[in-house]
Amino acid sequence: MSDLLHMTLASAMTEADLARFLVLSSLLFAVGLCGFLTRRNLIVMFLCTELMFQAAVIAFVAFGRWHWDFSGQVFVIFILTIAAAEAALALALVVLLHRRRNTLDADTWTELHE
Amino acid sequence: MNIVELLIPELILLAGSVACAIVGVSTRRSMRDALPAVAIAALGAAIAWTLCCGDTLAEAAPMPALSKWVTVVGCGLGMLLVLLNAGTADRDYEAAVAAGRTKFDPLRTTRGEFYVFMLLSIGGLLLAAKARDLIWLFLALELTSLPTYVMVAMSRREQRAQEASMKYFFLGAMSAAMFLYGFALLYGATGTVELAAMHEVFTAQQGDVGMIALVGMLLAILGIAFKLAAVPMHLYAADVYEGAASSVTAFLGFVPKAAGAIAVMGLLWTMGMHADGWLLPPMVEVMLWVMAVLTMTLGNVAALLQSSAKRMLGWSSVAHSGYILIGVIAGPDHGGWAAVLVYLLGYGLSNTGAFAALAALRRGGNEVESLEDLSGLAERHRGAAWTLAISSGSLLGFPPLLGFWGKLLLFIAGVSSGHIVLVVIAGLNSAISAAYYLKLVALPLMGASTARSREVEPLSVQWPRIAGLIAAAAVILLPIGLPAIAACAAAVLVN
Amino acid sequence: MMSWLLILLPLLGALVVIASPARLARHLALATSLLVLGVSIAAALVFTGWGNGAYGLTAALDWLPQAGIVIQVGADSVAFILVLLTTMLMPLAILGSYTAVQVRQKEYYGWLLALLSAMLGVFLARDLILFYVCFEFTLVPMFFIIAIWGGANRGKACVKFLIYTFTGSLITLAAFLMLAWSYADAHSGVWTFAIEPLTSHAAGLAASDQAWLLLALLIGFGVKVPLFPVHTWLPLAHTEAPTAGSVLLAGVLLKLGTYGLYRFALPMCPDAVVTWAPVIAILSIVGILYGALICWVQTDVKKLVAYSSVSHLGFCVLGLFALNPMGLEGSVLYMVNHGLSTGALFFLIGMMYERYHTRDMRQISGLARVMPVWATFMVFFVLASVGLPGLNGFVSEFLCLIAAFTAGDGGAYPGVLGPWFAAFAALGMILAAMYLLIMVGKIVFGPVQTPAHGHDDNDLPVDLSVREIVVLIPLAAGCIILGVQPGIIIDSTATSIADTLAVYPPIIEQASTHVGATLDAMVMGGAP
Repeated sequence: MSDLLHMTLASAMTEADLARFLVLSSLLFAVGLCGFLTRRNLIVMFLCTELMFQAAVIAFVAFGRWHWDFSGQVFVIFILTIAAAEAALALALVVLLHRRRNTLDADTWTELHE
Repeated sequence: MNIVELLIPELILLAGSVACAIVGVSTRRSMRDALPAVAIAALGAAIAWTLCCGDTLAEAAPMPALSKWVTVVGCGLGMLLVLLNAGTADRDYEAAVAAGRTKFDPLRTTRGEFYVFMLLSIGGLLLAAKARDLIWLFLALELTSLPTYVMVAMSRREQRAQEASMKYFFLGAMSAAMFLYGFALLYGATGTVELAAMHEVFTAQQGDVGMIALVGMLLAILGIAFKLAAVPMHLYAADVYEGAASSVTAFLGFVPKAAGAIAVMGLLWTMGMHADGWLLPPMVEVMLWVMAVLTMTLGNVAALLQSSAKRMLGWSSVAHSGYILIGVIAGPDHGGWAAVLVYLLGYGLSNTGAFAALAALRRGGNEVESLEDLSGLAERHRGAAWTLAISSGSLLGFPPLLGFWGKLLLFIAGVSSGHIVLVVIAGLNSAISAAYYLKLVALPLMGASTARSREVEPLSVQWPRIAGLIAAAAVILLPIGLPAIAACAAAVLVN
Repeated sequence: MMSWLLILLPLLGALVVIASPARLARHLALATSLLVLGVSIAAALVFTGWGNGAYGLTAALDWLPQAGIVIQVGADSVAFILVLLTTMLMPLAILGSYTAVQVRQKEYYGWLLALLSAMLGVFLARDLILFYVCFEFTLVPMFFIIAIWGGANRGKACVKFLIYTFTGSLITLAAFLMLAWSYADAHSGVWTFAIEPLTSHAAGLAASDQAWLLLALLIGFGVKVPLFPVHTWLPLAHTEAPTAGSVLLAGVLLKLGTYGLYRFALPMCPDAVVTWAPVIAILSIVGILYGALICWVQTDVKKLVAYSSVSHLGFCVLGLFALNPMGLEGSVLYMVNHGLSTGALFFLIGMMYERYHTRDMRQISGLARVMPVWATFMVFFVLASVGLPGLNGFVSEFLCLIAAFTAGDGGAYPGVLGPWFAAFAALGMILAAMYLLIMVGKIVFGPVQTPAHGHDDNDLPVDLSVREIVVLIPLAAGCIILGVQPGIIIDSTATSIADTLAVYPPIIEQASTHVGATLDAMVMGGAP
C-alpha cells in the first residue's frame, strides 16, 4: 500500500514540475536580492531578505518532493524558526532606529564612513 | 553514539548562559559583578570536559578531531574575550545605579544578556565544527551571528553602534538567505543534506559535478563570505568594526570569522576530497582564488588609507580573511587547513590584543579611535602601547611572533598546492600591510604626545588591559609550543 | 650545544637586564656580552671547521617536522669568523654607550642584547627558517634603537629602514619557499629547509629558474648590503642611529647582506650568477663611485662615513662576483675589516659628537690640538679605511681589485669580469682616499675651531677617557693584526671558499666559449 502510494506520488512530479518550482523560487530570490539592493526603506529591505528566505524554502520543498526525501521539509521547519527569530530581531532593531531618527530610510544613517 | 554526549560542551555553554541570564538580574551588585566569572567558568568547563572526555567526539563530522580543536581554541579565546568585555557591558547603567541616580531595575539592565549572547555565539562556533549536515551547519552559523547583531547594538549607547548593528544585521540576513539558497541547490543536486552522503555523491560523479551543485556551492561560499568578511561581502566590516565598542569588535573579528572558515572548509570537503587527493572543481577554485586576491588586496589598501585605528584594524581583518582563504584553497592534503587553524589561533590572539589595547583606554569618556590619539601612548600607558605594538607585529607576521608562523604555514601550504602566484600576491600584500601596521607600532611607542593624545586616560576597569597583556604574552610565548600546536592542528584533519 | 648557548645566552641576558634595576643595566649588559665573547672564544678553540670546509658546532632540533622545518645550527669557518666579529664588537658597542645613552637604559641594553642574539642566529643558522627568523628579527631591535635613541630625524629614518629591509626580506622568504617547494616537488613531497640539500638542489635547476632565484636573493640581500640603487635607507638610518647602533649597523648588519650573498646566491644559482655577474659587478661599481662622489660633498661627518660604507661594501660585492678564490677571500676579509675600521670611525665620531654636539665639518676643525689622543685614533682608522699598506683595509681591497682584474678570459682562474671592472673600482679607491683625507684634514688639522656652545654640560674629559680608549684599542689591534697577518683569516677560510667555488670553473668555461663564439661571429661580420 505505502509502496504504491510512494510510487504514485513520486511519479506525479515530472522534471517539468520541478523546473516550474525552481523558476518560481529563483524569481523570488532574484526579486528579493534586487529589492534588497535598491530599496532604502528598512522594513522593505527586511521583507526582501524574507523573500529570499522563502525562495530557499520553496526550493527545499520542491527538491524534497523530487528526491522523495523528508530532510528538505525538515530543513524548512528550521528555516521558519530562524526566520522568526530574525524577524523579531529586525523589528526590535527597526523600532530602536525609528525612535532615534523618526525615519526608516537607511540612507539617513551615515555616521560611519571613511 | 549518543548525540547528547556529543553536545556536552555546547550544553555546558547553554547552562552557563542561562546562569548568566539569572545572575544578571540579581539585585545585588556583587552578584552582577560576578557575571564574567560565571561566563568564564562555563567556557572553562567546556574546555575541561573536551580535554578530559572529548575523545568521544571522534565520530562527529567530516573532520573528526576538528571539534576538539575548535572547542579548546574557541573557548580559550572566548575566555579572553569575556575578560575583555568584563566591565564593558551596560557600564553607564551600572555607574548610574552605583551613584544612586537611579534604582536598579531588572527590566532595564542588559548586562546579563550580553554574556548570554557571547556564550551562545561561541556555542554556535563550536557547533559549526561538529556539523555533519546542512541543517546543522545553517543553524550553527545563524547561532553564531544572531547574538552578535544584538551585541553590536547594545555595546554602547551611541547612534553609531545602532547604525553599525543595522548594517551588520541587514547584510547578515541577506547573506544568510544567500547561503541558504546555496544549501537548497546543493540539496537538490545531491538529494541529501548530510555532508558525508553529499561527499559520496560528488565522489561518485568523479569531479564532473553538475551545474546546480556548482551554483549552490558558489552561492553558499558567497553567503558565508559574510562571516569571513571576505570580498564581496566585506562592505560592512569597517563600519561595523568602527561602530561597535572595541571589545565587541574583537569578538566580531574572531568568532564569526572562525565559524565561517570552518563552515567553508566543511562544505568544500564534500566536493574537493577525492580518493586520489584534494581537487576542487575549477569554477569553485577560481572563485575562491579571486576572492582571496581581492580580499587581501582591498583590505590592505583600504587599511592603508585610514586615519582611525579601529577602521584600520577592521580593514586589516578583511585582509586576513584573504590570507585564510589561501589555506582553504590549498586544502587538507597540503597542510592548508591545518595552517588555517594555526593562523586563526594566531590571528584571533593578535586581533584580540590589538582591540584590547584600544578598549583599555578612554579619551573624554569616549573610545580611543583615531591614530592621533595613540601618538606617544607609551609615555603614559606603557602596557597598552606595547600590547598594541606586539599584536600589530604579529598581525603583520613578524618573526618570531605567532602570526608569523601561521602565515609561514599558510604560505608553505599555498606553494605546495601549486598556488604560487597567490602566495606571491599574499607576500606583496604583507609588504603593503607593513606600512600601516608599522604606524600602530611606531606611533604609540615613538610618536610625540599631542594635545589630543595627552587626554587619553586608562579605563576605570582593569580587565581589558589584562586581557590585552595575556593576548600579547600568548603571541610571544606560544611559538615555543608551536611544534605541539601545529602537530595537533595537523592531526585534526587526518581521517 | 655551544651554538644554542651563543644564540640563547644574549636573549637571557636581555631578560635579566630588563628585570634588573636601571643603574645596573649597562654593567649587566656588558657582563653578558663579555660572557658571550668568552663562549665564542671557547667555541673557537673547539671549532672543528678551521682550515677545512666542514661545519662545526652543529646541532638540530625538530621544530615542525610535518612542514620539514628542523632548526639546525652550526657554522663553517666563514660564518664563524663573522660570529667572532659580532661577539667582539658587541661589548665595545655597549661600553661605548656608557655615557651616550642616558634615557631608558634598560630597554636600550635589552635591545642591544636581543640584537646580538639575532645576529648570531643568522650566522649560526643552517636552515632557512632560523636564518629568516633571525635575519628579520635583527630589524626589531635596530628599529627601536634608531627610533628611541636616534637623532632628530629618527622617525623617518627608522620607518624607511624597516620598510626597505622588510620588503626585501619578504621577497627573499618567497624565494626560499619556492626553492623548498621545488625541492619537495623533486623529492616526492618531502619538505626540507636545511641549507645544504636546498643548495645542491638549486644548483641543479634550469638557468632561468636560477635567474629568478638570484633576482629574489639579490633584492633581499642587496637592500641589506646595500647595493645601488636600493641603498637609500642606509645614510638616513646611519646618521640618525645612536653611536652603538651605527657601529653595529656598519659592523655586522650590513654583513648579513654580503654573508647572505656568499651563503645563498653564489652556491645556489651558479649558472645565473655566471650570466649576471657582470651586471651585479657594474651595480656595485656604480655604488662604489656614487657613494664616493657623494662623500666628497658631505659636510656631515657621520653621513660621510655612512656613504663611505655604500662605497666600501661595493668592493665587497665586487670581490664576491669575481668568482675566484682571491675575490672571495678578499671579500670575506673585507667584511671583517670594514666592521673594524668603519665601526671605529663611528665610535670616534660619536665621541666627538658627545663633546661638541655637532658633526658639521664646517663648524669644527683642528681637533688635533684639543684632543690629541682622539685625533691619533682618528687618523689611524682613516688610514686603515683608505687602505694604507700595513693596515687591514689594504689587503682586502687589493685582493678584491686584483680578483676583478684577473677574472677575465686570460686569468689563471676563469671569471667573467675583467680589467675594466677593476679600473673603475680602483677609481673608487682613489676617491676614498681623497674624501676621507679631506675630512681628516678639515676636522683634525688646521686652526682650532669648535662650536660656540663648546664643550658643555656633560662630565666628559676634554680628550678621550680611559673607557673610550679601551673601546678603541681592540679595534686598532685588530686592524694592525689583520694588516700584517691577513693569513689567519685567509688560510682558515680557504677550503670553505674553494668548496663554494668548485662548481664555477666548468660553467664559466662553457659560458665563455659560448660568448666567445658569439663574439667571433659578430666580429666576422654578422655571419651566423
